[in-house]
Amino acid sequence: MVEPTAVSLQLQIIGVVQTLGLIGIAPLITGIMRKVKARTQKRIGASIIQPYYDLAKLLKKDEVVSDQSSWIFRSAPWIMLISTITAALFVPSFLPFSPFNAAGDILVVIGLFALVRFFTMLAGIDVASAFGGLGASREMMISAIVEPALFLTIFVVSLSLGGTNLTSIASSAANQFASGVIIMPSMIFAVIAFFVIMLAETGRIPFDNPATHLELTMVHEAMVLEYSGKSLAMVQFSQSIKQVILLSLFVNFFVPVGMLTPAIGLSAASTASTALSFLAKAMLVSALVAFAETRVAKWRLFRIPDLLAVAIASSMMGVVFFYFWR
Amino acid sequence: MILAADYSILFQTIILVFSSGLANSLIFGRSTVARIASFAPAIAGSLLLVIFAVLVSISGSKVQISDPFVATIPALAINLYVDGMAAFFMLILGLVTFAVSIYSIGYSQQYSGKNSTRSFGFLFNLFVLSMLLVIASNSIYSFLIFWELMSLASFFLVIYDHQKELNIKSGLTYIVMTHIGTAFILASFLVFYIQTSSFSFDSFREQAPSIPQYVRDISFVLAFIGFGAKSGLVPLHIWLPQAHPSAPSNISSLMSAVMIKVAIYGLVRTTLDFGAPMTPDSAWWGVLLASGGAVSCIIGVLYAAIEKDIKKALAYSSIENAGIILLGLGMSVLFQSYSLLGLAALALLASMFHSLNHALFKSLLFMGAGAVVFRTHTKKMDQLGGLIKYMPWTALLFLIGALSISGLPPFNGFVSEWLVLQTLLSSYQLPNLALQVTISVVSVVFALTMGLALATFIRIFGITFLARPRSEAAHQAKEAPKSMIVGMSITASICVAFGIFPFIATSLVSASFGFDKQQHFLSLQTLSPFAVLGVPTSSGALTSSSMSAGTVALMMGCVGAFCAGLLFVASGRKTARKVYSTWDCGFGQLNERMQYTASSLSQPLRVVFKILYKPHNEAEVSYFTDSNRYLKKSAKVETHTRDVFNEGFYQPVVKATTLVLDTVRKMQTGKINAYLLYIMIALVAMLVLAEVTR
Repeated sequence: MVEPTAVSLQLQIIGVVQTLGLIGIAPLITGIMRKVKARTQKRIGASIIQPYYDLAKLLKKDEVVSDQSSWIFRSAPWIMLISTITAALFVPSFLPFSPFNAAGDILVVIGLFALVRFFTMLAGIDVASAFGGLGASREMMISAIVEPALFLTIFVVSLSLGGTNLTSIASSAANQFASGVIIMPSMIFAVIAFFVIMLAETGRIPFDNPATHLELTMVHEAMVLEYSGKSLAMVQFSQSIKQVILLSLFVNFFVPVGMLTPAIGLSAASTASTALSFLAKAMLVSALVAFAETRVAKWRLFRIPDLLAVAIASSMMGVVFFYFWR
Repeated sequence: MILAADYSILFQTIILVFSSGLANSLIFGRSTVARIASFAPAIAGSLLLVIFAVLVSISGSKVQISDPFVATIPALAINLYVDGMAAFFMLILGLVTFAVSIYSIGYSQQYSGKNSTRSFGFLFNLFVLSMLLVIASNSIYSFLIFWELMSLASFFLVIYDHQKELNIKSGLTYIVMTHIGTAFILASFLVFYIQTSSFSFDSFREQAPSIPQYVRDISFVLAFIGFGAKSGLVPLHIWLPQAHPSAPSNISSLMSAVMIKVAIYGLVRTTLDFGAPMTPDSAWWGVLLASGGAVSCIIGVLYAAIEKDIKKALAYSSIENAGIILLGLGMSVLFQSYSLLGLAALALLASMFHSLNHALFKSLLFMGAGAVVFRTHTKKMDQLGGLIKYMPWTALLFLIGALSISGLPPFNGFVSEWLVLQTLLSSYQLPNLALQVTISVVSVVFALTMGLALATFIRIFGITFLARPRSEAAHQAKEAPKSMIVGMSITASICVAFGIFPFIATSLVSASFGFDKQQHFLSLQTLSPFAVLGVPTSSGALTSSSMSAGTVALMMGCVGAFCAGLLFVASGRKTARKVYSTWDCGFGQLNERMQYTASSLSQPLRVVFKILYKPHNEAEVSYFTDSNRYLKKSAKVETHTRDVFNEGFYQPVVKATTLVLDTVRKMQTGKINAYLLYIMIALVAMLVLAEVTR
């Protein structure tokens, strides 16, 4: 019987600091992705810290709210931000553990993301424009099919690494890596699926284009089109945080290089090296995602289920491999 | 210390209170007093019922009801018995009836002067009473008598609004399907009767382990079909989306929230109590239940996602949720048959907690939909919209229901779906490769269901309550009467309470089903809001996978306070907020016809799952001149989706049956001497048969 209150105050503070660090680097990761994308397209691109300036600027601006909207539209940014930051508290990032994991596992993180989606779509419908509905109807289809792919990937991860508790997943990934297993066969399939899901969940090409406002292609941007000022800052910030959470899950599940194992023990040096290696891996994976994005074109909406079917099939293979390889 | 006899008296009091409701509704006329007189006993009775059920669950007592009146008629052999299992379902009945009865006081005012309010109050009380007595029944006789009474009462309530022809048709489908189900239930019980030569459930319970496996297999399959038909198991679900929406909304609440659970109760009783699935021979029961549940889940939610009628969409979603409950039950049977008792308890907990949750949020949603229909007189979502401005309380309460049913934290649906997911993730402990892979396929289906359920309820809430009103009726709507709001807020607040403090519900379930006495599942005994829900392994120890809904809610609160503080500091000066019209690309006034509708919102889903929907579009455009196709005079688009089960299964069956019956009818000449000849032939044939077999 583990009571979260039994976790010492010191550990709780460490956990909060880790989360603050994670949400602190979230706009930076967005900046890096934009920069990489610009460079691969032979543009110079904005500085990697531009997203911070954007957020600061938006916070100081007045906002315009649609006269058709209700309190749903006005409270949605708050719910998005609160849910994503709460989810960030459960995710091990710089350290291979989060002290709050007894209270919330990966299913809770997914549940909180679903809450974000629920209010994003409602906010899109609430303003009574065609754009909002358009975004919501596309997002509905994509998110409904992402769900089984995501769950099956978690199924593989939880089978291979023991449970849905993120700390135990991260530490057993680190232990396995330390003991010489680079990647389990079942996890190879999971990594393919998770990469696809990451693209879908963060609204990147080929699912969605975060840099467009064309009604033919936009999904997420269409739903939040009416936001401005402080609310827009909150929406964008929560989107960045969601992205960085998915990146840390990816890094902790599949790339446990340089991660602290329980055998090494918690010291200033080992903590610093783990944190730095996490930062390096997160930047590298985000650069990889941005690079992959410039290599493909946006897919037609009704081809997207095919890609997600690949993710489902891949993680199903992972399940089968797990059971047969054991 | 409460004695068993006291429970018995309390139970009889409850029955008397409901009966007084029956009498009241017949005595009083059609005034406001009459409405209160017929629903007040139901309110009092259900409150007593909740107390009774909680007391019986917690004390773990088994109550034999000895009724002095009924005992004098031994031929009826009405034998009532309440144990933890029955008490848990009585709790569901009590909670929902309490809220719905209060709601009904306001809701039934629309019928005064139009339909008979007398029969409405009478049937309402009869329906609740019969469900209560089904759950309490302890013999084949009383179970079937009250089951039939329940079906008939609900049938008359479905066709209560009989001016609409459609309602009569729904009622007929319902009465036919429910009797097919009853026939299977009767057959299932008779199999036990043949083995034990007793009509009493007590002897079924005692002798179950000694009954041969194949007999229990037959009985299980019959019960699965019979109770499955009543709980909307696909493909026997065809009546549910017709009958539930046709009934008045308070009755829809009771039917979806409670009557489905009565069928689940029957299945739990026959499977776990009489079936005794203790050996791997019964593992296939679990597979059948789980895969049947998974099919119901996905089919239910796929039709809910595209349905344009708000009450029909909710009815399809009930099929989905009954599927989730069956899935959990199936997993429990599966684990139990491999003696993984800790996991069996977890799966049963998931299933029963979801039953309780579904009863709460589905009654809330149906009451909310009822309030909308009450004020706008339309069930078509394409004619609603913007109601959050005119019916703010109804909208808020409906939103709580939608968030709960979509399985989002921190609401109750999330906790029970978390438990179901953990149950599925524990399937690796089953000692059989084929089962492991099967369950992983079931999990994919379940995950897809969860994704689609989210989409369904965003659509229902968004189209009904948000954006601009799409019709004059929606424009004229005003807030529902206070009693209806009070009724809805009761279930809504329980939804929130169980979402933040799930330990209340989980400890009730574990007390009702006796997990505490099994020593396999001690983790659910805690009474602290911050204690975690855990997953046991086969040895009974807990794995690291755990969750604490109370802590998550608390953390969300802290983060909210932190964000508010941070933004206050970061934004520095106070920013202004201007209200202006929605962005219209500079083209001028937007109107309500430019926004998305219920049909257009689900269009991508219709395309992706077109195999099931068989969408059919018809476009009709007329031009001013045929030479210039840019100037359109008028344009009309119609889109239809079809129910493949109705077209592919039921219509052929009905056609074949009619064909056979048409042939048989040729015998029916209408001449009396021909009939006398038939009787003569039958008599002779029977005599010959008797002689031959002697």
